[in-house]
Amino acid sequence: MMSASVARRTFATPVLLGLLLIAFALVAVAVGSKPFNQTIIDIFLKVIFVVGLWVFVGNSGVISFGHIAFACLGGYVAAWTTIKPMMKGMSMPGLPDWLMQTEIPYWGSAIVAAGWAALWALIFGSVLMRLSGIAASIATFAMLAMVNSIYSNWESVTAATSSVVGIPIIRSIWPYLVAALISVFAAWAYGISRHGLALRAARDEPTAAAACGINIPRARLIAFVISGAIMGMGGALYSHSIGIVTPDTYYLGLTFITLSMLVVGGMGSLSGAVLGVLILSTLIQTLRWLEAGVQVGETTIALPGGVQEIALGVVMILILMFRPAGIMGNKDLSLPKRAALETKGPKSPRT
Amino acid sequence: MSLLALSNVSVRYGRLTAVRQVTFSLAEGEILFITGPNGAGKSSLLRAIAGVTPPSGGRIDFADHDITGRAPEDIARLGLSMVPEGRDVFGSLSIEENLMVGTGMHSATRGWKARAATELEAVYATFPILKDRRHSQAGLLSGGQQQMLVIGRALMTNPRLVAIDEPSLGLAPNITDQVYERLIALRAMRKLTLLIVEQSSTRAMMVGGRMMLMRGGEILLDGDARALGQSEAMQAAYFGYGEH
Amino acid sequence: MGSLLQVLFDALSLGSLYALGALGIALIFGVMRLVNFAHGDVIAACVFALLWPSVDAVAIIFAGNLPWYLLIPFLLAIGAALSVASEIVVFRRFRRANPATMMIASFALGFVIRYFLLMLFSSRPKSISLLPSLSQPVEILGARIPLLQLITIAVTMAVLFGLTTFLRRTRFGLEMRAAAENFTMARMLGVRANRVIMGAFALSGALAAAIALILGSQTGTANIMMGASVMLMAFIATVIGGMGSLAGAVLAGFLLGAIATVMQVILPPDARAFRDAFVYGAVILVLIFRPQGLLSARGTKERV
Repeated sequence: MMSASVARRTFATPVLLGLLLIAFALVAVAVGSKPFNQTIIDIFLKVIFVVGLWVFVGNSGVISFGHIAFACLGGYVAAWTTIKPMMKGMSMPGLPDWLMQTEIPYWGSAIVAAGWAALWALIFGSVLMRLSGIAASIATFAMLAMVNSIYSNWESVTAATSSVVGIPIIRSIWPYLVAALISVFAAWAYGISRHGLALRAARDEPTAAAACGINIPRARLIAFVISGAIMGMGGALYSHSIGIVTPDTYYLGLTFITLSMLVVGGMGSLSGAVLGVLILSTLIQTLRWLEAGVQVGETTIALPGGVQEIALGVVMILILMFRPAGIMGNKDLSLPKRAALETKGPKSPRT
Repeated sequence: MSLLALSNVSVRYGRLTAVRQVTFSLAEGEILFITGPNGAGKSSLLRAIAGVTPPSGGRIDFADHDITGRAPEDIARLGLSMVPEGRDVFGSLSIEENLMVGTGMHSATRGWKARAATELEAVYATFPILKDRRHSQAGLLSGGQQQMLVIGRALMTNPRLVAIDEPSLGLAPNITDQVYERLIALRAMRKLTLLIVEQSSTRAMMVGGRMMLMRGGEILLDGDARALGQSEAMQAAYFGYGEH
Repeated sequence: MGSLLQVLFDALSLGSLYALGALGIALIFGVMRLVNFAHGDVIAACVFALLWPSVDAVAIIFAGNLPWYLLIPFLLAIGAALSVASEIVVFRRFRRANPATMMIASFALGFVIRYFLLMLFSSRPKSISLLPSLSQPVEILGARIPLLQLITIAVTMAVLFGLTTFLRRTRFGLEMRAAAENFTMARMLGVRANRVIMGAFALSGALAAAIALILGSQTGTANIMMGASVMLMAFIATVIGGMGSLAGAVLAGFLLGAIATVMQVILPPDARAFRDAFVYGAVILVLIFRPQGLLSARGTKERV
C-alpha cells in the first residue's frame, strides 16, 4: 500500500513539529511566570486554529474566510456545557432544560465542541463545497457573518453581544499542548490519507483529477468537516483559556490573525502552518510588549495601540508580494538527508 | 529595412518551452503566413510579439524600437495591431463602441470622435454589415461578423502591421473566403504588413506571399508560400516524419 | 398609505448605500479581478478625515466644519486619493497574482487602514454632527420622511446618472468598459492599463467618500468599524449582481435594501434581529444556484 510508505517517509514532519511544541511547553515550565504561561497557551491555541484552517485551505487551495465561525460554535459549546447551571440560568435563560443541567469537564466540552462544529461544517459544507474560486471564498465569508449575526442576536441562548462569564478557566499548559499535538497529527494523517492526496491532486490539476474519478466537492467536504472539528475543539479550549466568551471574539480579528499566520508560514505545507504561528506569535508578543511600554532610562517608550495589527498586515502583504508561497515555500520539515513529501502549492496563476 | 525583426526569441511557461530561439524579420508591405500543427508555438510567438506574454529570451524590434518586454499598449501604440485567436469582441459593447476602443490612442481627448469618424467610415465601407448593425451588441453577431469586427477594430488604430491569429477558426469556408478577400483588398489599399497564423497551409497557398512552418517551437521552413506548399519538405515537416 | 411610503423611502435610502458600495467594489473587480476587502475601511477612513487626529472621547471636528460646497469635494478627493494610493502602493504589485492572493492582500490592507485609524482616533465611537440641518423631517402625503433620506436618494440617483453618462459618453468611460470585459484585449488596442485601473480606483474611492458622507450624517457617529457592515452587504450585492457587472451591482444593492427593509416590517419581532443572517443565508443560496450572479452580464466570468 502506497500510503504506508508515504506515512514512513513523512512521519518526521509531525514528530519534529510536535517536539518543537513540546520544547515551547518546557520553556514555559522552566520560566514559570504566569503571563508567559498564558502566552504559550495562546500560541498552542493559534496552532490548533491555523492547523485546522490548513487542513481545508492548504489541501483544497480554496481560501476560507469563514473557519472562525466553527471556533465560535465551539466556544459557545464550552459555555453551554461547563458553566454552573445556576449561572447559566441567569445569562442564558433560553437553554433547554437538559442542557441547562449539564456540567461536564473541560475536555468533555472540547470533544462535544469538535463534534458540534463538525456537524455544522457538514451542513454548511454540503452546500458550500459545490462552489469554487472567488465565489467559494465569498460564501465562506457570508457563513462567518451569518454565524456571528445569529450569535450576536440570540439573546436567550448566547446572551447576545454581552460576555458570557463563568466558564471554568484552565491555566495548565498541558491540555492545550495535547490538543495542539492532536491537531498536528490529525492534519498530517489526513494529508497523507487517500482523501488528502486526492484533494491535493484536485487542487493542482482539477481537470485531470476529475477525469481520474475524484469527486472534488466530496473530497473538499471531508477536509471541511475535519478542519471544522479541529476549529471547534480550539474554540472550546479558547473559551476555557480566558473564561469568557463573546461572539466578536470569534470574528474578523481572529480570522485576520489566523489567516495571516497561514499566509506567512506558507499554506502549502503543514510545517508552514505551524511555523507561521510561531513566527507571528513572537512578533505579536514583541509588539505587545513594546505597546505596553519599555523603560529606557527615565522615560517609558510605548508604541501606540494598533501597531501590532498594522505590523501584521504589512508583514502579510510583503510576504504575499515577495514570497507568495510563504516562508516554508510549500516544503515540509523533515530529517536531513531524507526526501520530504513535497506538497506543491496551488498551481501558479496563468493570468 | 525590416518593420519587424525577431532574434533568438524564446517563450517559456514555467518548465514548458513553447518557442525556441526564433529568428526572422518581416519587411514593410510583406504578407507572412505562419503555419504549423497544433502546439507548434505559433500563438505563443504572436503573444510574445504583442507583449501579452513577455519573451523569456531574445529581442524583438518593431518600427525601429526595441519592444522586448514592453507593455501591450505601448506596442499597439507603435502601430502593431493584434487580432487574437477566438475573436475577443467586447460582447456587451455595441459594434460601434467596439470599433472606437482603439481610436483613443492617437488623438487627444478633444475632437476624438470627429477624427475617429473618418476611420469609422473607411471600416464601414469595407465591412458594410457592421454599419447596418452598428448599434447592436457585439456579442450577438455571428462568428464571421465577429471576425470582421475584430479586423475592423484592429484597423481603427491605423496600424502598420496587423497580426491575426487563426482568422478562419470556426468559420465556414465561404465566410473565410470573404474575410480573406477583404484582408487582401485592405492590404493593397493601406499598404499594410500582414502576419497571419493559420494551422493549415492551404490558405497561404491560395493567397500567396511568404510562408513559415513552425513545429515544436522552431521554424523549420521559410519561403514562398506556393513553392513551399508543393514541396516534399513541407509534408515531411508538417507531419513530423523525416529527420524529426 | 403614509406608512407604505415610509417603507418605500426606507428601502430606497438603504438600497442607495448598498448600491453605491457595490458599485465601488464592482468597478475594481471589473478591471483587475480584485475582490477589494479594504473598501469598507476606505469608507471609515473618509469619515475620520473630517476629524482632527486625537484619541480623546470628544471628536475634534476639523474638515467637518467646512461649508458643504467645500466639504463634499474635499471628502471625495480624500477617498479617491486613498484608493489610488492603495493601488500604487499595494495592488500594483499583484497584477499578475491570482485572485485569491489579491483578495487576502486586500483583507490585510483593510486591517492596516482600520488599525491605523484606531491608532490615531482610538476605537471608541465618536459623535459628530455632520450637516445637522438635514435631519428634520419633511411631510409627504402623510408620511414624515427625514430630509436626509430624500437627499440620500437624490444624490445616489445623481451619482448613478453621472457615472452612466461618464461610462457611455466619454472615451475614458469606453476604455474602462472595454477593459472590464477583456483587459488584455483592451491593452492590445492601446488602452493604457495603469490609467484605467487608477481611474477605477479613483472612482471607487470617491464612491466610498459619498457613502461616508451619507453614513456620517445618518448615524451622527464616527466609528472605525462603520464601513464593515456596509461593505459586507455591498459585497453580497456585487455577487448577486454578477461580479463585475456595474448595472447588476446597483440593481442588487437596491434589491438588498428592499429585502432588508421589508423583512424588518414583516418578520415577527423575535426574528427581526436575525434579518442579516437571513440575507447572508440567501446569498449563499444565490451563489449555489447561480454562481454567475442573479443579474449577471454576458461575457463577465472569473478570469483564472
